[in-house]
Amino acid sequence: MKKILIVLLMVLTVGCAKKLPPPAGTTPGETKESVTPDSRAAKETVKESIEQREAKLHEEAKLREEAKRREEATEAARSVLKDVLFDYDKYDIREDARPTLDTIAAYMKKNEALSLVVEGHCDERGTNEYNLALGERRAKAVRDYLSSLGVPSSRMSTVTYGEEKPICTEQDETCRQKNRRAHFTVQ
Amino acid sequence: MKMKFKIQNSKFKKFFPLLVACHLLLVTVSNAKVYIDITSPAVRKLPISITSEGPSAAKEIEGIIRNDLESTGLFSFVSPDVPGAEMTVQLKVDAVEEIKALWSLNDLIENREIIMKQYSAPPKNIRTIAHQISNDIYKIVTEKEGVFRTKITYLSYASPDNKELHLTDWDGHNGIKVIPLGLTSSHSWHHDSRFLIYSSERYRGWKIYLFDLGEFREKLLFSSKGLNLAGNASPSGDVTFSSSQDGNSEIYVMDTSGGKPRKLTASFGIDVSPSFSPDGMNIAFVSDRGGTPQIYLMDSNGRGIRRLTFEGSYNTSPAWSPDGKWLAYVGQRSGKNQIFVIQFDGTGQRQITFSGNNEGPSFSPDGLFLAFDSDRDGSRGIYIMRVNGEDQRRITPKNIKAMSPKWSPFFK
Repeated sequence: MKKILIVLLMVLTVGCAKKLPPPAGTTPGETKESVTPDSRAAKETVKESIEQREAKLHEEAKLREEAKRREEATEAARSVLKDVLFDYDKYDIREDARPTLDTIAAYMKKNEALSLVVEGHCDERGTNEYNLALGERRAKAVRDYLSSLGVPSSRMSTVTYGEEKPICTEQDETCRQKNRRAHFTVQ
Repeated sequence: MKMKFKIQNSKFKKFFPLLVACHLLLVTVSNAKVYIDITSPAVRKLPISITSEGPSAAKEIEGIIRNDLESTGLFSFVSPDVPGAEMTVQLKVDAVEEIKALWSLNDLIENREIIMKQYSAPPKNIRTIAHQISNDIYKIVTEKEGVFRTKITYLSYASPDNKELHLTDWDGHNGIKVIPLGLTSSHSWHHDSRFLIYSSERYRGWKIYLFDLGEFREKLLFSSKGLNLAGNASPSGDVTFSSSQDGNSEIYVMDTSGGKPRKLTASFGIDVSPSFSPDGMNIAFVSDRGGTPQIYLMDSNGRGIRRLTFEGSYNTSPAWSPDGKWLAYVGQRSGKNQIFVIQFDGTGQRQITFSGNNEGPSFSPDGLFLAFDSDRDGSRGIYIMRVNGEDQRRITPKNIKAMSPKWSPFFK
């Protein structure tokens, strides 16, 4: 029992050492030999442990790769998922919003694993409650537009934040226009 | 979570002294005269003086009473050293261990004592003692309940993801945080003043909750997909709210025992901000069914929908006066939001704020005041004024971004 424990500790050491470049003239195999000089049983254990360890490392690498891919996908989507702007107290899709939404729809169709949250936002004029309802209308108008372009509704959800989350706080029209938006996040 | 509630609970007791320990030393009440008839159209201010003796607590109580009574616009304080007062308050305060406030009210015209009373309470409740004395004086002079021990809730901006619900005395003192979670929005007081009804966004869902101030505990009241915004409760306990559970924001009514909500409106437009009239017979709400957001009224069963506001292209946030005769609301004029009042029958419309953006009107339970929020001083804060627009004053500190005040009912 004690022996195995020692061996396992050594294996762990090996595992750590692996991250460093191997010293010249040695291979991981040789290192493995050197930690188990006598016992065949211990050798087996070590071999197994190393295999498990390697499998685990492989698994982790795979997960990392996947996470990286997802991150890249989100990052790539970022350049596509631009805010869509609205007129004051309106929720119809403006002419200038269509190219952006067309691009998003095409992107969504190409990347079938992608799901979106459409957030509806308003400027600070008007009352919070009415603006929450208006923000919901904006988010749904965008969702419906994308849906009409062939993006399945099941891959889109909506939420309204009304005037609660402005991205610009100056009291002028340039700023208010930035706030009257639909914003996208990847789910 | 339970811990939190416990801690809050002790906080609650601290800020809601259920009773000022009231040892009646001597009560003389000679009476039966209304000094100020607030229902009369031309009210004369009652000249009154106040004197106090004792430690610094005496001056503090005197100051609070003065502020309370002056803010009603019904009293004018005159120096006790010169003639002119028709009534005088004499205050004697002892502040060893606890505050003992012995006070009397004298009619200087008839030269008689109307009342003498003593209140005592721990020093932390000094403001409650003062407000209770104000209530007593107000009751004697007008024969009406004073609002000096009522509370105001409001929303306070904490971060982009977090708007808290706070509770303060009517004059902005003794503030506490009640609901720290989520992005809290529309809220209202239940009639028995023990419950708050409100909407909060948590994890991308807008749900309706009930908060029990007695137990300091939150309960989920309604949840569905979409946007759910709390209105208020009727005297019989029904709760009105707006929900987009069927896709479009409509007005609903539910009972709090969990029955199926009844849908009252069916229009293509946005229907939001429903509010039961004080008698529960009508519901005011906001709808853009006519192209712009306007205030509408309907019977509480959803029939008889009629438009109330016609001037201006943006009228929202209806709030009923306690007698149900008036509604206060927010109207947009020249790009700014202002508070207006209008009678239930659509006549008598009047603008009562003019500086900055003013929103979220809420009547005091005696109908004498309106609480609202304003950005006139730069940062948004809570203000109160008399319903005719007089004496507009900020009650929340400048360093808090506060909005959407709701005045409590009288505490029973």
